[in-house]
Amino acid sequence: MNGARWLVQALEAEGVDTIFGYPGGAIMPFYDALHGASLRHVLVRHEQGAAFAANGYARASGRVGVCVATSGPGASNLVTGIADAMLDSVPMVVITGQVPTPLMGTDAFQELDVFGMTLPIVKHSFLPRTVDELRRAVPEAFRIARSGRPGPVLIDLPKNVQLADASQLGAYVPLAPVPVPPAPDASLHEAAAVIAQAQRPVIYAGGGVVLGDAVEAFREFVDLTGFPTVMTLKALGALPPGHPCNLGMLGMHGNRAANMAVQECDLLIVVGARFDDRATGKLAEFAPFARVVHIDADTAEIGKLRAVDAAVPGDVATSLARLSAVAAQNAGRHAAAREAWRAACMERACRHAPRYDAPGDKVYAPALLKRLSELAPDATVACDVGQHQMWVAQHWRFHHPRRHLTSGALGAMGFGLPAAIGAQLEDPQARVICVSGDGSFMMNVQELATLRRYRLPVKIVLLDNSALGMVRQWQELFFDRRYSEIDLSDNPDFAGVARAFGIEAMHVDRAADVEDALQALLRTEGPALLHVAIDTAANVWPLVPPNHNNAQMIDPDGDEPAVAATSSPTPDHREPTDALPA
Amino acid sequence: MRYQLDLTLRRAEGALLRVLGTAERRGFTPLSVDGEAQPDGDRWHLRMTVEGERGEHVLQQQLSRLHDCLAVQVRPCP
Repeated sequence: MNGARWLVQALEAEGVDTIFGYPGGAIMPFYDALHGASLRHVLVRHEQGAAFAANGYARASGRVGVCVATSGPGASNLVTGIADAMLDSVPMVVITGQVPTPLMGTDAFQELDVFGMTLPIVKHSFLPRTVDELRRAVPEAFRIARSGRPGPVLIDLPKNVQLADASQLGAYVPLAPVPVPPAPDASLHEAAAVIAQAQRPVIYAGGGVVLGDAVEAFREFVDLTGFPTVMTLKALGALPPGHPCNLGMLGMHGNRAANMAVQECDLLIVVGARFDDRATGKLAEFAPFARVVHIDADTAEIGKLRAVDAAVPGDVATSLARLSAVAAQNAGRHAAAREAWRAACMERACRHAPRYDAPGDKVYAPALLKRLSELAPDATVACDVGQHQMWVAQHWRFHHPRRHLTSGALGAMGFGLPAAIGAQLEDPQARVICVSGDGSFMMNVQELATLRRYRLPVKIVLLDNSALGMVRQWQELFFDRRYSEIDLSDNPDFAGVARAFGIEAMHVDRAADVEDALQALLRTEGPALLHVAIDTAANVWPLVPPNHNNAQMIDPDGDEPAVAATSSPTPDHREPTDALPA
Repeated sequence: MRYQLDLTLRRAEGALLRVLGTAERRGFTPLSVDGEAQPDGDRWHLRMTVEGERGEHVLQQQLSRLHDCLAVQVRPCP
C-alpha cells in the first residue's frame, strides 16, 4: 500500500464515486493506483474540463466534486475551474501531482508553485510532505470543502509521497462537516421586530439559500409572509415559476418589476445573498428606502457592503423556520398594506411580462429558451457565459435552483459543456441540457470527445450569433459602436464539428422551424447538438448601465420611463446618504 | 485608517501568506509585520499594522474565515 493507493481508498471512503482528471508524470502513481478501484475516473481532454466537470457534478448534487491533474501545466489548467468554485462556493477537492519533495524549489521539470498560485482562490490547501501529513490532510480537506460556506480545497501531492509506504496508516476515518450554528436568539428577535414594522417588504434571495439546504424553509417563509421575492442568478428556482410572490431576477439584466420593487421597498430581507454588483447596480443607490435584515451562514458577508438593521448570522434554514413561526403570529399586522404592495408588485410584473412575438423570421432566442423549458421542465441546464446566459436566466422556468448550473461570480466562458458532463454523470437519469454560445462553446469544445466517449445523453443548444455577443452589445451601447475583436463570423460549421466528434447534430435558423427542431433534439437518444443561428444584433434587455441604479434600466421594449414615479421621494430628489442607514 | 492586528495562527504551510494576502486583497496595506513561532511549535503569534479605507469589521471577518486563523483582534490605531 503506497500513498497513492491509500489516497484512492480514502476517496472511496469519503463516498466519492466519480473523479474527473487527466494523467501526467507527477500524478502517475495515483493513476496506477486507480487499477482495481471502485470509483470511476472520467478522462477529459483538457484539465479545465476536469475542473468544470467536477464543479458541475458538485453544483447539481451538493456533494464534493473531485478533479485530478498532474503538476505544472496540468495544475495551472485547473486554475480557472478552482477560481469558479471559490467564487460560487462549490465544494470541491482538487488533487494535483507535484514533483518529488527533494526537487521542490529547484525549478524542476513541470514544477510550479501551485500551492502559492491558488492561495487566493481556495478555501484552504495542503501540501503533504509525508504520508502522515497526507493522512491528516485528506479528511480535513473534505471537511473544509463541505463545511459552512462550501468551497474548493487543494491537495498538492508530491510524487514521492504518492510512492511512499502507507501500510502503517490504518483505516481511513472521515471527519463530519462542521455544522453552521443556529442564529442567536437575540438576532432573531431583532430581525422579527424590524420585519414587523415593514409595509413594503421584499425578500432578496441568493445562492446561499441553496448552499444552506434551505430551499424548503425558504419557500415556507415566502408562503407564510406573502412578501414579494426577487432572486439572484444563483437563486433562480428557489421559488417555482408562477408563484404569487415570485418577481424573478433583479439586477443588471433583471426584470423591471423586480428592480422597481427593490428600489421602492421599505424593508429588504436578504437571505443568502451578498449584494453583488450585478444584482445591486450602483450600491449607494440600491434599495434607498429600505431597512435591511441580513440572514446568512457566512458572517463575513453581513455588513460587508451594506450596513444592516438586523444581522442574523447562522444556519439559514433554522433562521427562516423561526422567523416563519413569528411571521405566522404577526400575520395580521399591516396585512392590508402588505397585500396591496404585493399585488402592486405582481401587477407590474404582469404588465411588463416579456413578449415573445418578435417580428421577422429569424430565431428569437428568448422564445426558443422559454419553449424548451416548457418541453423539458425537469431539465438540468448547464449554461455558459454571455448573452445566452442572461436569456436563460430571464426566460427559462426553473423549478429548483440545483437545476441551473452557471458560472455566476466568475463568469467563466467554457463552463457549460464540461459542467453538463459532470451533472449528467452525477445523475445518469437526469435530462441535462447545455445552453452555450459560439464564443463560449469553442473554449472547451474538445470535451465533445468526453461526451462521446461516455455516451452521455447531454443535449446541447448552441446559440450562434457569430460574435462575442455581450461584449458586442457593450461596445454598441457604451463605446459608440466601436466594435473591437468581437467578430466570430469565421466560426466553423458547428454541426459538422459535432458530427466529427461522433455526435448527432442538427441546425435551425428560422423561427418557424424551432418547434420541430427542439422536439427532434429531445427525441434523440444519446448526445446531440442543435446549432441555432440567431441575429448578431440581438441584445439583452433590460440593462442597467454601469454606475446607475437599478431603476435606471435601458429597456427599449418597455413602456414606462426608466425612473418610475413612486409615493416615496424619487431618486432625483432624495439624498442617498440620508436615506441609507449609517 | 490604521489598524493593529493581533493574530494567532496555526503553524501550517501557507498560513502567513494567507493572512498577508487576505489583508492586501481586501484593501488593507501592511505597514509592519512582526511575529514568532510559539514555544509549542504549533502556532504563530503575529502582530501587524495595516492601513485601509474599509471598516475594521471587514478585515476581522475575512481573516477569521481563514482555516489557519485561530484568533484575530483588529483595533484602530490610537
